[in-house]
Amino acid sequence: MTALIEARELTKKYGAQVALDRANFSVQTGRIVGLIGPNGAGKTTALRAILGLTAYEGQLQVLGREPLRDRTELMRDASFIADVAVLPAWLRVDHAVDFVAGVHPRFRRDRAAELLAKTQITGKRRMRELSKGMKTQVHLALTMAIDAKLLVLDEPTLGLDILARSAFYDALVNDYMDETRTILITTHQVEEVENLLTDVLFIDKGRIVLDSSLDDIATRYAAVAVAADRVDAARAEKPFFERRMLGKVVLYFEHPNLEKLAGLGEVHTPSVADLFVAKLSGGSE
Amino acid sequence: MNTYNWLIRREFWENRAIWMMPAVIGAVMILVALFGQVNQVSIPLQLPSQTIGGGFLLAVAATFFAVMSIYSTWYLLDCLYADRKDRSVLFWKSMPISDTVTVTSKLANALIIIPLVYFAAADLTALVMAFILSVRASSQVGGALWHADLWLQMQVLWLYVIAVSALWYLPLAGYLLVVSAWARRAVMLWSILPPIALILVERWFFGTHVIANQLGERLVGMGALAFRDPQGCCSWASTVVDNDTIRTPVSIWGFLNPGGFLSSPETWIGAAAGVALIAAAIQLRRRRSEI
Repeated sequence: MTALIEARELTKKYGAQVALDRANFSVQTGRIVGLIGPNGAGKTTALRAILGLTAYEGQLQVLGREPLRDRTELMRDASFIADVAVLPAWLRVDHAVDFVAGVHPRFRRDRAAELLAKTQITGKRRMRELSKGMKTQVHLALTMAIDAKLLVLDEPTLGLDILARSAFYDALVNDYMDETRTILITTHQVEEVENLLTDVLFIDKGRIVLDSSLDDIATRYAAVAVAADRVDAARAEKPFFERRMLGKVVLYFEHPNLEKLAGLGEVHTPSVADLFVAKLSGGSE
Repeated sequence: MNTYNWLIRREFWENRAIWMMPAVIGAVMILVALFGQVNQVSIPLQLPSQTIGGGFLLAVAATFFAVMSIYSTWYLLDCLYADRKDRSVLFWKSMPISDTVTVTSKLANALIIIPLVYFAAADLTALVMAFILSVRASSQVGGALWHADLWLQMQVLWLYVIAVSALWYLPLAGYLLVVSAWARRAVMLWSILPPIALILVERWFFGTHVIANQLGERLVGMGALAFRDPQGCCSWASTVVDNDTIRTPVSIWGFLNPGGFLSSPETWIGAAAGVALIAAAIQLRRRRSEI
């Protein structure tokens, strides 16, 4: 089976600055993939390349197409929110729906109307009159009404309050997602998406430092919280990161010897957020 | 075609000035006709009725055409820059619309649609003004504003000028689109600086002014190609007013020179340069999403 997104040696330079440094990764159909990295790690650049918004070096195939060359065809099957608050200030909500319905063959108008009905936003209002959160809701309604094979979301819930954020993720998983669709998502709030992701891609300094399904993370990584007097014994097992927490020390291991660790303290699978911190703080040193 | 339709509508949503500006100009002219001191304007009685009517129609059309030229120029300069500036380009690019279609829709808007809107507004304004003036200044104008053949000539003249300008000004439009797709700020400055720099460089280093001449020729040279020299081609009416003989053309039919315009190499060299510049603007639009 060929991957939905296949990147080989993907590189992008802005002058002397390297935003993507020979990144390799692939995304399979039916997955919800979190692209996670610190600011300036190359997340946005990677998404821009995938969506055909920027030139790049290396090989990149999305839905079997070359994004920059075939952006028009790609956009029939892929939809995206590349950033929040990019709907133009002069655009009216009903005009936005009319426009997308007019030019997008896979846009379902009834679906957009249904999603907008759940908000307090009326059709005659212009984007400049809406709060950032409301604008985001309009953009999400437009995007989620497109029957796309690939949905790319860059910080989709920025500016939304907790209720709206949780409603959005519920809708994403329960109403939108099915086995024919694939979602690629970036966010700073890793904890919030952790439960819906099936895969993670950690990116740092333009390189992919982890490309794994969540199932694999559970077998490949372990963390153990040990009391201070057992730290040395635990360190003998070669953790790649450790940190102090409430009088205990949590140590992180790749390919752990679970039997030995179990004798030292409480073993658990690290959360995506913790693993991210561990990998990026300690993994590269 | 359907996509173009929506893209043109989108331009009207974004740039309400496309129809508001001609509406305001028309309203002002009509208000002047309604409340101005029109019955005190002195028109030499000896002038033929056709000259008065033709002059009136030309004056209304020229006003609209002048504003339209300035607006279209500004529009071309702004259209690819504005959505990069507010980053809405990221939304437009999420639609399955190619950059070629996007850029050419804006070009068609500037060269065809906007001129047609001004044409319609000029016609409507002239019609309403003719009614008002015929009543308010009947002693001076009489039936001068109602020569059907002059109205017909005006329609043809508008359409002819729109068609000829679209071809003649294609390189300038292409250049403005390139600047609009390329500049990160100050599009106005970037549109003016390169030609001035080229003219100065040529002058300093070679002592010639080929670029300045070419540019000047492109800006004002259309008339000489698209229209015949009025002497000897038009039917003329001579009128003596205060011992001066005033000669006015009474028909434009002999005046238009589409054959001469279309067979001139300048027209097609310019058009080819225009197509190349538009292609460059499309490439820039493809690769330069954000500022």
